[in-house]
Amino acid sequence: MVHFTRAASWVALAAATALVLSGCGASGGGTDPTDVNPDGEVKPREISWLLSRPADGGVITAMQKIADEYAADHPGFSLNLITTPDRPSYIQKYETLAAANKLPELFDTDATPFAQKLAQQGRMIDVDALLSDLGLADTYREAALNYQRFDDGSLYMVPFEFQLEFFWYNRELLDQAGVEVPATLDDFAPMCEALRAKGVTPIALDGADGWPLERYMAYYPFRQAGPEYVQKLKTGEAKFSDAPGRAAAEWLYGLGQAGCFQEGFSSTGYADAQAQFTSGKAAVYNIGTWELGNLATDKLDAGVRDKVDYFTLPTLPGAVTADNEYVTPSGIGMAVNASTYDPLVRDFLKFALERYPAEIVASGALSPTTDVETAIPSNATPLYSRAIEQSGDVGTKIAMPWDTQLDPATNTRLQQELTLLVQGDITPDEFVGTMDAALTENVGG
Amino acid sequence: MLPRRSGLAVAVFLVPPLLLYGAAVLLPIVQSLVLSLFSWDGITDLAFVGFDNYVKMFTRDDVFWTAFGNALGYLAICLVLQLGGALAVAGLLTALPRARELVKTLYLLPAVISTVAIAFLFIRIYSLEPVGLINQLLAFVGLDGLQTAWLSNLQTVLAAVSIPEGWRFTGLYMLIIYAALIAVPKELEEAARLDGASWWQAFWRIRFPYIRPVWITTTVMATTFALRGFDIPYLLTNGGPGQASELLTTYMYKTAFVHTDYGYASALSVFIVVECLVAVGLIFLLLRRKDA
Repeated sequence: MVHFTRAASWVALAAATALVLSGCGASGGGTDPTDVNPDGEVKPREISWLLSRPADGGVITAMQKIADEYAADHPGFSLNLITTPDRPSYIQKYETLAAANKLPELFDTDATPFAQKLAQQGRMIDVDALLSDLGLADTYREAALNYQRFDDGSLYMVPFEFQLEFFWYNRELLDQAGVEVPATLDDFAPMCEALRAKGVTPIALDGADGWPLERYMAYYPFRQAGPEYVQKLKTGEAKFSDAPGRAAAEWLYGLGQAGCFQEGFSSTGYADAQAQFTSGKAAVYNIGTWELGNLATDKLDAGVRDKVDYFTLPTLPGAVTADNEYVTPSGIGMAVNASTYDPLVRDFLKFALERYPAEIVASGALSPTTDVETAIPSNATPLYSRAIEQSGDVGTKIAMPWDTQLDPATNTRLQQELTLLVQGDITPDEFVGTMDAALTENVGG
Repeated sequence: MLPRRSGLAVAVFLVPPLLLYGAAVLLPIVQSLVLSLFSWDGITDLAFVGFDNYVKMFTRDDVFWTAFGNALGYLAICLVLQLGGALAVAGLLTALPRARELVKTLYLLPAVISTVAIAFLFIRIYSLEPVGLINQLLAFVGLDGLQTAWLSNLQTVLAAVSIPEGWRFTGLYMLIIYAALIAVPKELEEAARLDGASWWQAFWRIRFPYIRPVWITTTVMATTFALRGFDIPYLLTNGGPGQASELLTTYMYKTAFVHTDYGYASALSVFIVVECLVAVGLIFLLLRRKDA
């Protein structure tokens, strides 16, 4: 008995040490998440923004400039931008910091289940309330805000971008193969076969990162059943073996069988996939307007510059979503840490968010707000302005990227199984079986 | 029996490193052991689940078993390349009359190149679209039929991620074994030769028994390194396609830092610790001197 007590106290001690060392505190909130205008004086200090955006990209350049202007009037203020552009690495970093309760004043996140937990614990400021308080709520595109919302409609992230995802294609290669731009999703496989017959890689795919192929998984259900399917799927209410999931699996298996993607796509990275398209080796490439600078300016290889065009997500017979509804993300959002929120953070955000739209459109990007117009760069091809104009005609439903929707464990499994499905290593039946089992294990569906 | 003062001196010198070892190695293992009994996503409260993480690991998780099988395959390939390759090269090196330093340096070179650089190098070498080095060579010698995307083909990917790891450390183990081989007294070998022993007999009965202690150490090092292998598979394929090159280590990392399932990841890490201990125990058992 004595031994047992001693052992138990050791275990208890070890457990306590473990908890202390791993910094496990349940919540960090000292501030009410809806108290967006706290009393007190603005005391300049350094604030940090943990973000996942390109280091020399438009958002960082604009925000750095704005922060420098703010610092000129507020000696002692500085904005420390800590960026990890590689998204999977970023998410690991941010989730680990969240677990250790060490998130800085501002941090990037998608509207993931993990972020929703943080919001529910009162660790993020209510952005609906914040934007209303700053008098900016009406300037934002509805679609840009909706993209950041959780399924219950609550908003905890500020958008800094607005993007449209297109299928870019090489007109010459399609002409040579004698095929038209796909009118429906079902036209993809025949298009691929015709291109393959001409020795052309039909679609360049960054398979190493997982999310690009996962987009394809989202397309068929979005057209067939609307955005609700994935919302139900992630809670276990719907299954992969339901009609939309099964149809998507069949479609993707068909794409694989038709040789749509380059051989060995699973180890091709982002830059290599893009290079296959921009060098004229691949005919189609699915990417968003954040690549306009590389795809619609004179940076693009002269050999393909005049041949590149784009089409938006094709429809389906009996589609429930409109042609102008597709993947239109407002990028990863910025959350405001409730525990470090004070008059300074509010004052800086007011200053920054008012000036930001004018700065971002000057860089040639789309603003998440409607009050400014994008400046077309001088080296742009005609495609640039066409793509920018396209943003004025976007429907209300958004095809949400599934990687921001599903719980991380199911998401990882989905990305792995999708590769096997497209490679033809598993059948659609095996795919939905495995995925439903994973879903049950992870969300208890 | 040491005199008292000397005992104190031993304690003074041994206790600090032991404390450091305890804090850096034993404590995290105990932490993992405790955490493996909980379900924890890092931000909500810990929930005690008893042995459910272990039950899940052994009965409900097919990825765990795939990863375990892959880890053994990875281990086998790495050991053959590292120990077999090292012994062969070291043996040949002792027979080399000139330029030994140059050959040693050339073999050691991969061990000092950054892992990330090696990973990018091999992504290019294995590529099929665009055609990489291996597939070009195959085409050059007329074996076009054997061309494949080495990192996407389920049959080849595990070997493809193991080979770079095996290759890069062959030189290191070669150095260790070479040092042991040149320490073998020449007269023993010469005596054996005079008695009519063949090259193989001289190697197997004289040289190898002589270097056995070094061989055991090298085997333990290579085995534990291979069981903990992580960086090259993670960088080359991230465990894919599917789970074809997923190792226990990459799976544990994903479970902890991508799935934020720290409890289950701790259970996996406890398994990895046990696995390493068992492996080292087996090596000592198998390579123990028969006469000992």
